[in-house]
Amino acid sequence: MGDPHLLSSAHPTASAAAAASSSSAREHPGPIDEDLAAPDPSPSVAKRPRVAAEPPASGGCVPYVEADVRALVSMAGGIYPLARAEALRGLTAVLEKVDPSSRASVAITECSYQCAVVLMRDDDNGVRLAVVRLVDACARNFSARLDFDADGYGDLMDMIFLQLSSMARDMCTQVRMEAFAALGKMQRVSEGVLLQSLYKKVIKTDSMDVSIINGQKLPPKLKIPCAAGIFSHGIEDEFYQVRRTACKSLGALAKFSTQYTEKALDLLMDMMNDDSEAVRLQTLEALFHMATYGCLSVQEKHMHMFLGLLVDANALIRDAALKILGLVNMPKLQIFKSAVDGLITSLEKYPEEQDIYGILFSIGKNHGSFSANIAKHLAKEITMASDGELILDKPRVKALLIVSISAPFSDDKHKKLNIPSIIFSHAIPLLEKVSCALGGEVNQDSLLSYLCHKGGMPFWENRSVSAEFGESESCNVEKVEIGAHVENTAKETKCLDEVLVMQSMKSILEIVEGAWTMRMPCNVCEVRSILRTCKEELRLLAENSSGSIGAFLSFLSEYLDAILFIVEIWQLIQLDNPYTFGLTSLDILLEKLDMSVRRMEYCYVGLNRVLEVQVLELSLIAHLFRLSKIAVCSKVVLGKLLWVINRLEDLCADGSCELSDFSREIKKACDTSPTGDNLIGSINNLFQLFRLKPTTDFGMLKVINAVLRVCDNNSENPLQYICGLPVGISFKISLWNVSSHHRLWLRMTIGESMQHTFLEFSGFGGNDEVKSGSMVAPLYATPKACSFVLQVCLVMECPSAGISTHQGGHGGPSDCVVQLSDELNVYFVSVSQW
Amino acid sequence: MAIECLVLGAGQEVGKSCVVVTIGGKRVMFDCGMHMGYHDHRHYPDFARALTAWGAPDFTTAISCVVITHFHLDHIGALPYFTEVCGYHGPIYMTYPTKALAPFMLEDYRKVTMDQRGEEEQYSYEDILRCMKKVILDLSVIPMDLKQTVQVDKDLVIRAYYAGHVIGAAMIYAKVGDAAMVYTGDYNMTPDRHLGAAQIDRLMLDLLITESTYAKTIRDSKHAREREFLKAVHKCVSSGGKVLIPTFALGRAQELCMLLDDYWERMDLKVPIYFSAGLTIQANVYYKMLIGWTSQKIKESHAVHNPFDFKHVCHFERSFINNPGPCVLFATPGMISGGFSLEAFKKWAPSEKNLITLPGYCVSGTIGHKLMCGKPTRIDYKDTHIDVRCQIHQLAFSPHTDSKGIMDLTEFLSPKHVILVHGEKPQMAFLKERIESELGMPCYFPGNNESVSIPTTQNLKMSATERFITSCAVEQGKRSLHKRNLICRTGLSEVIGSDEEAAEGVLLMEKHKSRKILCEDELLEVLGMERHLVQFEPMVSRIVAAVESELQRAKAADLDSDGK
Repeated sequence: MGDPHLLSSAHPTASAAAAASSSSAREHPGPIDEDLAAPDPSPSVAKRPRVAAEPPASGGCVPYVEADVRALVSMAGGIYPLARAEALRGLTAVLEKVDPSSRASVAITECSYQCAVVLMRDDDNGVRLAVVRLVDACARNFSARLDFDADGYGDLMDMIFLQLSSMARDMCTQVRMEAFAALGKMQRVSEGVLLQSLYKKVIKTDSMDVSIINGQKLPPKLKIPCAAGIFSHGIEDEFYQVRRTACKSLGALAKFSTQYTEKALDLLMDMMNDDSEAVRLQTLEALFHMATYGCLSVQEKHMHMFLGLLVDANALIRDAALKILGLVNMPKLQIFKSAVDGLITSLEKYPEEQDIYGILFSIGKNHGSFSANIAKHLAKEITMASDGELILDKPRVKALLIVSISAPFSDDKHKKLNIPSIIFSHAIPLLEKVSCALGGEVNQDSLLSYLCHKGGMPFWENRSVSAEFGESESCNVEKVEIGAHVENTAKETKCLDEVLVMQSMKSILEIVEGAWTMRMPCNVCEVRSILRTCKEELRLLAENSSGSIGAFLSFLSEYLDAILFIVEIWQLIQLDNPYTFGLTSLDILLEKLDMSVRRMEYCYVGLNRVLEVQVLELSLIAHLFRLSKIAVCSKVVLGKLLWVINRLEDLCADGSCELSDFSREIKKACDTSPTGDNLIGSINNLFQLFRLKPTTDFGMLKVINAVLRVCDNNSENPLQYICGLPVGISFKISLWNVSSHHRLWLRMTIGESMQHTFLEFSGFGGNDEVKSGSMVAPLYATPKACSFVLQVCLVMECPSAGISTHQGGHGGPSDCVVQLSDELNVYFVSVSQW
Repeated sequence: MAIECLVLGAGQEVGKSCVVVTIGGKRVMFDCGMHMGYHDHRHYPDFARALTAWGAPDFTTAISCVVITHFHLDHIGALPYFTEVCGYHGPIYMTYPTKALAPFMLEDYRKVTMDQRGEEEQYSYEDILRCMKKVILDLSVIPMDLKQTVQVDKDLVIRAYYAGHVIGAAMIYAKVGDAAMVYTGDYNMTPDRHLGAAQIDRLMLDLLITESTYAKTIRDSKHAREREFLKAVHKCVSSGGKVLIPTFALGRAQELCMLLDDYWERMDLKVPIYFSAGLTIQANVYYKMLIGWTSQKIKESHAVHNPFDFKHVCHFERSFINNPGPCVLFATPGMISGGFSLEAFKKWAPSEKNLITLPGYCVSGTIGHKLMCGKPTRIDYKDTHIDVRCQIHQLAFSPHTDSKGIMDLTEFLSPKHVILVHGEKPQMAFLKERIESELGMPCYFPGNNESVSIPTTQNLKMSATERFITSCAVEQGKRSLHKRNLICRTGLSEVIGSDEEAAEGVLLMEKHKSRKILCEDELLEVLGMERHLVQFEPMVSRIVAAVESELQRAKAADLDSDGK
């Protein structure tokens, strides 16, 4: 019934289709009609024309819908409430299916509407509920008609609004809720009626007909008083569901009238004290809705309530309040200041909420002249404060700085905003937050240079300074995007940090170079402590960095390690105590140095030439030490030495960099005596030639890294195994910058015994940068013990140009390896012990 | 048949609510209150005069039952007098909470009368005690539940509906035969934090007796007042001040405390809230038990957390009023007329950091009243002088409905007549005008001891013959068919509704027989008479007429044979 296609098939061309489809439609309306006709003994009923069979001149199937409507309307007048309600629901269903643009829909809608009006004061709750839904459907159809003929429906829509309002005072909760929901969906209401819906007192207007109708006969009071204060009632309702719906509708209607919005704000503000969280959140949503329409202007009396929300115990509420605050329009400086104070209080109470800075920036930006005022006061405060008194870490100062710095970005450009330069220079440490608040639209570099320029600091001269940056560049953050920029907090590169890190790195390397020259007077202890401090410094820097700079920092710390080893080995060699047997500290140091050099060589992708030369020279010196340790020319070591020298020559062949004296001398020594006897003799001299030439130019350095995890395993919660039988361990593995040609192994160690398992990571998900996945590795030889700890780590093979010295175990890696991940302890306990 | 409504109290005034309604020969007394403003004969309703008017030997025979709507003294205060002095021994109906809390109220009143006035009473302290015992123990006091239909006797039926106002307040529906009425008592159409809004079904009523305390006032949303109150309290405690909230133990104290408790929770405040009086704490215990009579929110959440277990309310001892630091104190009595609230007031008033919140209404002569009319800097109480430097905040939370609420309820119930009680005369006149003009219902507001008689509709039971019903149905069917065709032609432009049209028939009323509606044709059979046809001979064209008359006769003969 009521198929829209059937209705619109009034065109003669579509008549054939209509006839076809109406035969199918007949089956549904048929029984209803028959039922209805059954008690009717009139003989003419039998002759009732089957309209579908007739030529569809009168519009095909309209009579079918009409018959439905007729049947439903007459059933709606029945004596049984459940039947009445069901009939009304049927009408609603018909209306929903009817195409509002068709002519028939007008008649059907009007007819249903009249039926609904009659039953508006029905005794039964269910009927009244159905009436509200039907009226809502009628209103929807009427307003759809508005597009076709605009006149004539305005009054009707007002009338429907009033009728729904009177239903919203019903004693039945469901009816009230439904009525409020329907009110919120109204598409057209006159302003007078809207305003009246906010006030309980009747507004006397001339335009509105307040004629007195002698009530009792006329079922609904169709007068303006029945809309009076309907929303004030709604938000005071006992049931939170009703209050929530009322709030929602209150916000939804805001698009019709600004005057209404102003008044509705008062009501909504009061809802912030509601005892139900759902209502409070809905209220905030309604406010946000209004704010995005740009029609939210807070007044002084609302501020206490609003600022209370900023320190609400509920994070959701705080967050919503923040978002709204970023959009509202504050007409007075007083209000603005209190808003800023409120945000600061919130920041002090919940320091983890970094969004607040973004909001501070955006309210400052929206109220340029007010934030200029704040800036002025802050500048005074900064200059007045004696040293150390004004700590930038204090949330208050940070917040005020953010507000002040936002002024130049505001829209009121016609006003000359004088922001003291001291503000700019103090705002530099907050660069990240500012850039974040700008939504990442502006390059941090240019922002920094702008701040430096404005702050009068010749900090970064070589970058182009766009002088009128704030004024020229378009940095209007879209109002609605406030929420979006918040996500940008996790932005990777922090421009400012980078500059600072580079600076400190430079100075660290200078210190290291100085320390190297100091090594000659043999004050090893001092050198060692200097190097360690430098390393510590690097570690701190590395903590806050990522990307290439992070990779370079880790490279540098590796480098420093190597230098430290070299210094210590040199000292041991100087002591020259050849009469030691077994594993000496010299052996250990040599091994460590090798490892360190190997890591530098293989664990970094994108080493540029200068860095590679550095690494190769280090490996030269490591080999040299090996030679001197054994004091006999090992062929293998010599071979490696030669390979390194060749590689160095290769690198320097195009003349982009020069072979250092140190390498050249070694080359010479090797050339003169292929057995390398000269080398051992002149090792002291050679060593003296070694110079550190650290560089800070690192290009696109990437570090190969891995993290290995085993779920749900710790010493308290070990895995189970059966002695002597293999056990599977499920690993979760994340790999950084590993490419397919790398060969990775899982190394599992129990005491002395070691097992290598090849890692097949082609199936891992992720991109070139990060891959992650899981694998189950079997441990074959479980020990005969009640429990044991397995040490697992990921290692990578180092393809050392065919000179393989490493005697891998069966099935293990064929070359020497570098360790990629930290060593992980996996705890096992024998099942019998469990 | 008529409903006779005699207003014994609260007619064109507020206080001593008492209305006796004679409905279908049954006399029901709604409320039995005392007037707190008078201490002479006007203190109680004039029962004796009513008794002589009725011409009954005693009250027990004259009155079928007494129904008490809620526990306020102006609705229950005269009950001890009525039972003990006037000697009424019939049934008394009240809701469970009213029954539970009424003794507290009467006890409180007894204390006040004992303390303040030693003067001669119209009934003694023992009378109150005895009446209280009656309320507590006696079987003649019958508790009611909401929407429970109570059969008082063979004809009289009463039912209680939720009224808001205070815990246990009820609106009473009474019905005898076809005559039905509602007495609202005091009610509130807007819910507050601990009580819901009045709730009633759509009923066919002849009479509605409604309170009209705020007949003219339209109150704005209480949210704004709550906001101001919270703001003032928060400001005070955050600057280290103390807040004194003088309040009566029941209702307002719980309402405000729930408001504060909720705010404390949200704002994470640590300032202690105290209740001074044992009575308040005792009342809280009752509230916890009477969850079913509270607001929706409490009903929903009490299983998880009973909202009357206030989280931020701390244990209190009297010495705490000397403690430094901020706090909030609820103290009785509400108008600072003595007791602990006065004690705290004396201590705290001299500091400008502190805050006193006053209720909306204070009896003149109390300190509360003095504070309300202009801010005094110095108050002389008995022989002590109090410097008043503290802030004063007035907070009116009225549990009565406003004019709009009265109109809404009246409109919803759509009774045939309205009587206003419990209000000021000029305002009542204004409301009467509105009800009559806007709702079209006759409205009265009788003074004390006046009575109003209201006609009631009487419904007659009658049966209809099968044939009559069938013919009605046929008529309707024809009409609708006609319309349907009409719509086909014009494309649904015609109004479809309003199918009802009068059906014709004959009402037959005979002695000793039930009334019946018949068809015209059937009448003959019932009366056992023959049909007589009267024909008028036309003057022209005799032949045609002859033919026509022949036809007519044949038809009539057909009809007759059909009938047989």
